[in-house]
Amino acid sequence: MIETSPPPQPAPPPVFAVQKRRLRFLGLTLDDTIKAFFGGNALVAVVVLALITVFLFREGAGFFGQNRTNLEIYRQAGLEYVDFIRRQTDDHTALTRYLSDLRLRQVMILTERERRPLDEVNAALAPFDAFAEQFSATVDPLRALLSDLTEQVTAIKTKFIVTQDRKEERRQLLAEGKPAEADAVKIDTIDFATELKPILGALPLYKETSREFSRKLVALLDSVPSLPSPELHPRMEKLKQLARNYAAGFPAIERDMEAWEHTFPVPAWETFTAFLFGRQWLTASFWQDWYGILPLLIGSLLVSAVALALAVPLGVGAAIYVNQIASTREQRLIKPCIEFISAFPSVVLGFFGIAVLGQALRLLSQQPWLSWMPGFPYSERLNILTAGCLLALIAVPTIFTLAEDALNNVPRAFKEASFALGASRLQTITRIIVPASLSGIISAVLLGLGRVVGETMVVLLCAGNRIAIPDFTSGLAVITEPVHTMTGIIAQEMGEVVRGSIHYRALFVVGLVLFVLSLLINYAAQKIVRRYKLSIG
Amino acid sequence: MVNAAPATMETRPPAPPSAPALAAKVSPRFPAVAAAAASEGRNVIVDIDDVDFFYGATQALHDITLGIEAKKVTALIGPSGCGKSTLLRCLNRMNDLIDGTRLGGGTIKIHGVDIYQPDVDVIELRKRVGMVFQKSNPFPKSIYENITYGLRLQGLKDRRKLDEIVERSLRGAALWDEVKDRLQASGLGLSGGQQQRLCIARAIAVEPEIILMDEPCSALDPVATAKVEELIQQLRSRYTIVIVTHNMQQAARCSDRTAFFYLGKLIEYADTREIFTNPAHAQTEAYVSGRFG
Ligand SMILES: Nc1ncnc2c1ncn2[C@@H]1O[C@H](COP(=O)(O)OP(=O)(O)OP(=O)(O)O)[C@@H](O)[C@H]1O
Ligand SMILES: [Mg+2]
Repeated sequence: MIETSPPPQPAPPPVFAVQKRRLRFLGLTLDDTIKAFFGGNALVAVVVLALITVFLFREGAGFFGQNRTNLEIYRQAGLEYVDFIRRQTDDHTALTRYLSDLRLRQVMILTERERRPLDEVNAALAPFDAFAEQFSATVDPLRALLSDLTEQVTAIKTKFIVTQDRKEERRQLLAEGKPAEADAVKIDTIDFATELKPILGALPLYKETSREFSRKLVALLDSVPSLPSPELHPRMEKLKQLARNYAAGFPAIERDMEAWEHTFPVPAWETFTAFLFGRQWLTASFWQDWYGILPLLIGSLLVSAVALALAVPLGVGAAIYVNQIASTREQRLIKPCIEFISAFPSVVLGFFGIAVLGQALRLLSQQPWLSWMPGFPYSERLNILTAGCLLALIAVPTIFTLAEDALNNVPRAFKEASFALGASRLQTITRIIVPASLSGIISAVLLGLGRVVGETMVVLLCAGNRIAIPDFTSGLAVITEPVHTMTGIIAQEMGEVVRGSIHYRALFVVGLVLFVLSLLINYAAQKIVRRYKLSIG
Repeated sequence: MVNAAPATMETRPPAPPSAPALAAKVSPRFPAVAAAAASEGRNVIVDIDDVDFFYGATQALHDITLGIEAKKVTALIGPSGCGKSTLLRCLNRMNDLIDGTRLGGGTIKIHGVDIYQPDVDVIELRKRVGMVFQKSNPFPKSIYENITYGLRLQGLKDRRKLDEIVERSLRGAALWDEVKDRLQASGLGLSGGQQQRLCIARAIAVEPEIILMDEPCSALDPVATAKVEELIQQLRSRYTIVIVTHNMQQAARCSDRTAFFYLGKLIEYADTREIFTNPAHAQTEAYVSGRFG
């Protein structure tokens, strides 16, 4: 059967199905959910960063106020006044140390070079010893005065602190709603002016003692015995000069003491300068606590400098070798090895530093053929050098990996063009490859530095932890001295401080400085990388 | 128009051997080339004899025998992957930079010296055999430093002399008028065509005898291409040029001799006019007429 086909109708327009299919989940489309998920992750990261920063600032900020109070008490209770005298006696101690150093040198010369027996040497030095004894005795009356005054001002300070504590106790009781008990807390009022009267009243006595001291000292210098070895005579002359200068400084001390007032205000900026430029970090001291970051900052910087001085040539050199010279097989061997170093937990490295490296380096330093090295031989096993060597180990993988990346980014075409013009491999590396990747290498070094500055465990274990500005007078030999670092001090002291105390807050400010330092380093590294991307085009 | 370089180019210390001397020195293993060259009075300076070349285990060149003549333009043509670049890069041993490559058999002699002998100083070789790459690759340095790079490598420091060579090379590469006011600007700031001419200037600054060009115009527009071709015409009087190209018109316009490769084998090598008007092989004909797969 054949049906007559219907007359051709215009075909219906094709369905243009491009609308989204709305699959909803909790009222959100799939896209929205995915977006919310990843956006949420990013948000958490940002919020955590913000929280940490805020926390650091909040905990740290209180320090400066507390430190100002600390400095105010130092002045009001008269500690500052007594410290004038203390400094005077300390300077004398330095002179007697110079004398005993001189004696040691003389003994060494006589026994080791001239092979004289010790008895004979001691006999020969008898006049010198007599002089030294007299010299050191000159200060005794002043010392006695100092110790009296020290006792008195410490008492004032203690009294003040007790009062403060009582006030705090009362405030707390009131806050807890116990007014009766709060009233029972007895609070003395302290009038510093009256308290300080006996101290200031001792000024005439001080003047008399000090002048007598000066007279004796100068008189003694006229009868200095001469040492057996002529080569030490210049040193003896130097001592005389130092002692004369020292005595000549006494009137200035007197004037300072006369002018001193316990009511001098402590300006607000002094709490900042005392922190940033303070040369002492002294806590839980019977006399006065000082929170100066300088010794820690210098320690951190020195350790980092030594680490970089070792890690930069090693890391960059290895990167150049692996990227430009090594065969594929060597590459496959070297790269994982270097990257594997970063797998060591830093506490293990620190342990290794104490147990092996410190010992080995000290032994090495005592080898006669290495005595030309600055500071060699040395006896402190844990010092800047030991910590720096280990930190270098930590920085090498970072520097190596990033520098290798930077070298890799140099287009192969540059290398070929250079070779095609008759350059040797070395010329190609030094004139084309390294300059083209220089900013990448620099930022690799900076990131390595960031890694090193923030490293804690190794320096805590191996830097020697002596809180003092190391002695720069003998140049590079400074690297054989022990130091303490910013990271180390936080790790070491944070566990035992009272929450909210000035010491606690001081540690937070140290952390803040560390944070700012790392931030600057990272920022610089990023800036440099960005410029580098532009220049390669 | 560009000024041709002054005729002071002949400052290179060692004078190349004369043509008859060369013809006499060609490989005894392959007398045909020597005979042909001598008989036709051809001055062959690069003598490629029965060369096999390997990338690891894969063979890229099979039994290539080819004599390249002095002061002529030789074009290498053939479909992609047939080994033109490989052969070119054998001539200045750029393939040494790739791990696992080796010359499996045969010899390549320049002026009768086998350049694959262990006692050959590759650096010296590359000074004599310059190269221009497919993708222009100026260094990320100033135009001036790009050109003086090769000379400084050789220890030339005299500022006046360097200035002179920079000008001469840039004029030689037909670029002087365009960049003379910004010699201290970065070479990367030039246009693609200018960059390629800068690379040519850089190559001729060290005064090589032979210039190898691997598709020098493939990234350039027709105007820049025309300039480079014009330049090749000018250079042919002073240099021996070997050029790889995919552009048949270019090969026909610029070259004196043309070699056609297919799958790593040399199919035909003859005068360019011969190749384009009267090829001996059907494959060649198919390729040059564009009927080739
Ligand atoms: N680096 C390399 N490693 C391994 N094989 C390679 C390498 N370079 C080239 N080859 C191979 O050698 C052969 C010849 O390559 P070549 O680059 O010489 O070809 P070509 O003629 O220059 O081609 P094109 O016209 O596309 O540039 C090809 O088969 C290629 O796959
Ligand atoms: Mg090619």
